[in-house]
Amino acid sequence: MSRYTLAIDTSSGTSVALLEGERLIAEKTIADTMRHAEVIGDALVEVIQSAGAQSKEISAVVAGRGPAPFTGLRVGLAAAKLFAAGAKVPLFGVVSHDAIAYAYLAGESRAQVSETKPLLVITDARRKEVYHSLYSGLDSSGAPIRIGEPAVMSEQLLMEHLADRGIDPIRIDGQVSAADIGRVFAKQLLAGNENRDVSALYLRAPDAVPSPGKKVSG
Amino acid sequence: MIIRIATEADLPVIMQIEHACFGKDSWADETMRFELLAHHTHYYVAVEADQVIGYAGLSKVPVSEQADIQTIAVTEQQRGKKIGLALMQKLLAKAKQLSATEVFLEVRADNSAAENLYRKLGFEQIDIRRRYYQPDGVDALIMRLKLEHRSRGRQPLVLGIESSCDETGIGIVRGNQLLANVISSSMDEHARFGGVVPEIAARAHLEALRPTLDKALATAQVSLDEIDAIAVTNGPGLGGALMVGIGAAKALAVSLNKPIYAVNHLVGHVGVDVLERGELQTPTVALLVSGGHTSLLLVRDLLDDVELLGETIDDAAGEAFDKVARVLGLRYPGGPEIDRAAIGGNPSAIRFPRGLTLPKDMEKHRYDFSFSGLKTAVARWVEVAEAKGEDFNRADVAASFREAVVDVLVSKAVNACVEKGVPRLLLGGGVVANARLREVAQERCDRHGIELRIPAFSLCTDNGAMIAALGAQLIMAGRAPSSLSFGAESTLPVTTVQSR
Repeated sequence: MSRYTLAIDTSSGTSVALLEGERLIAEKTIADTMRHAEVIGDALVEVIQSAGAQSKEISAVVAGRGPAPFTGLRVGLAAAKLFAAGAKVPLFGVVSHDAIAYAYLAGESRAQVSETKPLLVITDARRKEVYHSLYSGLDSSGAPIRIGEPAVMSEQLLMEHLADRGIDPIRIDGQVSAADIGRVFAKQLLAGNENRDVSALYLRAPDAVPSPGKKVSG
Repeated sequence: MIIRIATEADLPVIMQIEHACFGKDSWADETMRFELLAHHTHYYVAVEADQVIGYAGLSKVPVSEQADIQTIAVTEQQRGKKIGLALMQKLLAKAKQLSATEVFLEVRADNSAAENLYRKLGFEQIDIRRRYYQPDGVDALIMRLKLEHRSRGRQPLVLGIESSCDETGIGIVRGNQLLANVISSSMDEHARFGGVVPEIAARAHLEALRPTLDKALATAQVSLDEIDAIAVTNGPGLGGALMVGIGAAKALAVSLNKPIYAVNHLVGHVGVDVLERGELQTPTVALLVSGGHTSLLLVRDLLDDVELLGETIDDAAGEAFDKVARVLGLRYPGGPEIDRAAIGGNPSAIRFPRGLTLPKDMEKHRYDFSFSGLKTAVARWVEVAEAKGEDFNRADVAASFREAVVDVLVSKAVNACVEKGVPRLLLGGGVVANARLREVAQERCDRHGIELRIPAFSLCTDNGAMIAALGAQLIMAGRAPSSLSFGAESTLPVTTVQSR
């Protein structure tokens, strides 16, 4: 019987989880941010086998979309796409920052977060910049309410922007856990807010400059 | 007593029994773990009162007709209760189910209890390996059981994924038969940058994966459930681009519960010939020329003996075309543009340099190539002409440049054939589209009595069918699948046909 959700996130390390609704069955997270392609296969096998499950018992695949620096993020999204193809099940996307926010907001400290005192999720974007998203709390289904889309800039600039707008947020930085990706998805599904968009949130254009012209010598 | 499939959770107790039974011949934990988890192995444990009291494993690569008994062990206290017999019967039933026609095993010559058990099951001794078990110096008996049923003779259905540069390729083959070869290229997106931008290529792979897969399945008229194995390029190529294909291929293999083969892109270009001729005739020299590679290989055996004779020490030939196209104010990709510009031009109008062909270079770089000097020579020539306000013939420049590239490529390849005594030359890579290259190669091969092979253009450019074909060759040769832990190898040497 199909009943499990497979969640995959490679926006920081490599994290794979198997859930039954919101209930976590198994999770494997490898923090290494340089070896996504190497570890993704064994992580999938381990999570599925340790639950005693088979891939045909999986009814949905959900992938973390970032934001994240390029290379690693794509490994998880590519894996999610073809796992869903192989298992013949639908594929969904969750903004990876939502999972970090959810982990915090589902805990005891959530009472401090409000529209006027939002939660600021920050992750490393390399090149002296950060990815960031703001949250005002949880909606009635229990999913995080994101106010504004994720963006990338230097941390100093971000703090200035927020100060200009009179926002003094509660700031957290965190690792994405695929279990939380799966939990956010479960909440969204209950509320009918699940999302089929699995496009990667790079938030930066590729590093390339158009060809400068023809002078090659001298 | 029951017999059930072994899981990773059984590993600790299996290793306890392993050490108790085999002592210094015991496998390492990691070896046993791989055996338990691998797709091509089938391990069972015998359980009595919730205690594992024995285990046994079979190895059977899909479509190969041979199976091997990998190991069998029963705890000392439980011997004499026919537990070993029950485990063996389970393995033989599995071997039959998997269509094996022969099962092999090896046993210590001094283990008569085991040998008698195997004889009772119908195994016969076919060979002996002297002093195989060390340090005891005990012989190993090789035994074989022929299974009573006809082989289905089915060839493996393999899906290949290629993403090493700017083409997302998914191909499907059945043995040596091509069923689908679908390519999605991001070439147009690179045009305004004058060359492949790795990040743009990698982003395009991610977007193209699913549509390319769906189209390949539709073309081949097969469903994913029928696929026997997945093959994927793990190098050489652009790291970020390779990783997209690898992540996708591993997840597909896990979701289908099928084995995966990580294969070498360049060897794929050579092996693709099996799709047109049913086999690769060896030995052959292979000249692979594209925007990313310029390599000369000597292939004595596709799976076991591929030697890199030489390669470019700077730009690939395709890159030289792109860069010179820019010099001449032409678009990307440069190959077809220069071909067009060369129409009516005189190829001997300007004598551009042939890289690494002077005697002093030939000593060290007999089969290597260099194109950066040629590119600079063309740029200088054009700049000087323009500075003087001379009205030069662009067709002559294009034709002369192309002639220099083609001349050095073909000369070195033909030299390799002659000097190595190899009567065949195979061309591969996108630059094979160049008509002048094909023409000159044919002329010179004819002159030296060398057979020239040029696969269809759709099989010469980067594609998934060649990856699937190489995977199928490995399977049909009985090779074990790769583990799931290989990574992208940007500079994978041609001597590594399959990565573990």
